[in-house]
Amino acid sequence: MNEQVVHAHGLTKAFGGGAQQVWALRGVDLNIGEGEFLALVGPSGSGKTTLLNLIGALDAPTAGELVVLGQTIGTLSRRQRALLRLRSIGFVFQAYNLVPVLTAVENVEFVLELQGLGAERHARAMASLDELGLADLANRRINELSGGQQQRVAVARATAAHPKLVLADEPTANLDGENAEILMHLMGELRTRHGMTFLFSTHDPRVVKHAQRVVTLVDGKVARDDRQPGESPHEILPAEKGHAWAGPEPRRLSSAPR
Amino acid sequence: MAWVAGRYATRSIRRNFRRSLLAIAGIAIGCILALVMQGFNRGRSEMFARAGAYSGAGHLRIVPPGWRDNRDQTRRLVDGDRDFAAIRAQPLVKAVTPRTRAQALLAMGTRVTGVELIGVDPVQEPATNRLVRTIHAGRYLAAEDTGTLVLGSAIARRLGAAIDDDILASVVGPTGDIQNAMFRIVGIVKTGSDIADAMVCQVPMRDMAGLTGRAGIGEISVTLADWRATNRVRDALATTVAQGDDVMTWEDLNPDFKGHMRQDEVSSRVVTGIILLIVLLGVASAQLAAVLERRREFAVLSALGMSGWTMVRLVLLEALTLGVVGGALGMAIGVPIVWRLATTGLDFSGFMGGSFSFGGALVEPIIYVDFGWWVVPYASLVALGATLIASLYPATFAARTDPAVALRVAQ
Repeated sequence: MNEQVVHAHGLTKAFGGGAQQVWALRGVDLNIGEGEFLALVGPSGSGKTTLLNLIGALDAPTAGELVVLGQTIGTLSRRQRALLRLRSIGFVFQAYNLVPVLTAVENVEFVLELQGLGAERHARAMASLDELGLADLANRRINELSGGQQQRVAVARATAAHPKLVLADEPTANLDGENAEILMHLMGELRTRHGMTFLFSTHDPRVVKHAQRVVTLVDGKVARDDRQPGESPHEILPAEKGHAWAGPEPRRLSSAPR
Repeated sequence: MAWVAGRYATRSIRRNFRRSLLAIAGIAIGCILALVMQGFNRGRSEMFARAGAYSGAGHLRIVPPGWRDNRDQTRRLVDGDRDFAAIRAQPLVKAVTPRTRAQALLAMGTRVTGVELIGVDPVQEPATNRLVRTIHAGRYLAAEDTGTLVLGSAIARRLGAAIDDDILASVVGPTGDIQNAMFRIVGIVKTGSDIADAMVCQVPMRDMAGLTGRAGIGEISVTLADWRATNRVRDALATTVAQGDDVMTWEDLNPDFKGHMRQDEVSSRVVTGIILLIVLLGVASAQLAAVLERRREFAVLSALGMSGWTMVRLVLLEALTLGVVGGALGMAIGVPIVWRLATTGLDFSGFMGGSFSFGGALVEPIIYVDFGWWVVPYASLVALGATLIASLYPATFAARTDPAVALRVAQ
């Protein structure tokens, strides 16, 4: 395995206190190596988003060990966690969450600016949009873009600074089949080109299909962490405790790499 | 603040245009009210300075050693000539006049009244004392006059005196003996205020010296071209007049004025403070609403690594933009209003029945609102300061956004 990007051992997270306490994670053990393309699946309430939040340094664990990019999350201050996110982690959200008053390129530039990039940030932002096939739309306002285009801008924003780790929470949930395929394909290319590690939380078989590794969470624990050669997403997803899984049977695109 | 962040902040104002317009209007109105209040307050100070100075006190008065403590009218300046030379060396001096004073009894027939008899330079006095310019009957003292007297109508009434009547003036001489002299009334002053009219009783200075047996100058009254230079000229004169002679300002001479002005100033500040507080709360409310509306966006920005401090600066920059626009609008409307009030003045004589006496001075109740370059920094300070202060809470609220909300909300 390559250099470890995420190391979690006995990771737990509880919300609330006393009788109201809810355990979202109950001792997760997980290691993610550099350059992995990993899908985190599981039914609603299984702890996917909580785990993503912890790995993304958005939150601190209740107990257990969590080391992300060499930094022990539980010991970091709020400011240190913000710095880790800024410098080393990219985020892609289900609802895109782009800044509506900025253009596509400004959205990408904004994060580069926060990272302290100077004159080169515009060129970097344009290059990132170009990688995602959006160079022609760089100066469009967000509301002038389709959902698929907005999500690609969000990916450009997350990857423009070439972070070591990219976290995507249900990135294809609001996209149609074609846009979902295009997005997964482009993210796969970014991973190959820049060696970034991608971690998705998803219900979507179209994402699972592209994943190199699938980790299944059930009731706050890792229930399965493997993928059999040739195993289809639908063979993995419905296998979990009879939960109903969303998403249509994917159609195979000849251009989309596996 | 960096470039894209700046664009983010300024464009965010257009998200809810009506709310931004209302906030800008609030800032502008606050700015206009603060400008008028401040101009009015400064104008009122000018009115009191004018009243004090032109009722005989002058903006500055050179007095003999020890006079400040006991106001003993028998004291004389150490070196009047040197004091005059020092005064004339000051560029802002408009008029100078010497005086001597003595407590006197005036008698005509069977009527007697106590007055403060003032020896004056008949040529210089009218330039510094507007009371004596309100001659009701007869004329004012002339340079060549001797044995003549001008008095206020209130004194004339008490004595039953009229023009050309002879009046006996009695004072205490240097050795405690009573000194008398006859004066002929050549003019009667009627200012409109009985109190002011009871204070005018002037004779030529050389007659005063002859009556009291005391030579020399009792005081020198100085009128300036700009009352705001009073303290500056006082400081300059304090080091150049004859050693021992003292320099007093019109405020020192009229402690009642000083107290009244301070009281007015405090109440004006309270009113201005209330106005600004209302503006402040309005802007704070609008900014807080803007931040609450974008809570998810701030959470996402926080998730992307934006620090709390950067978020505070973003919100403050947004507010600052509102403040700049509101301040500019406030100045565009407020400055002509203040200029107009400075030119025409606010005439309160209709409410107060003409001039009135206060603290020994005749106050003309017309306030010329002050207008000057101060309006630009003052309006800017009010608009930007109030907006920034009002935005501190919304800004810190934005900075406290929990980034974990971003992913939860995005689900």
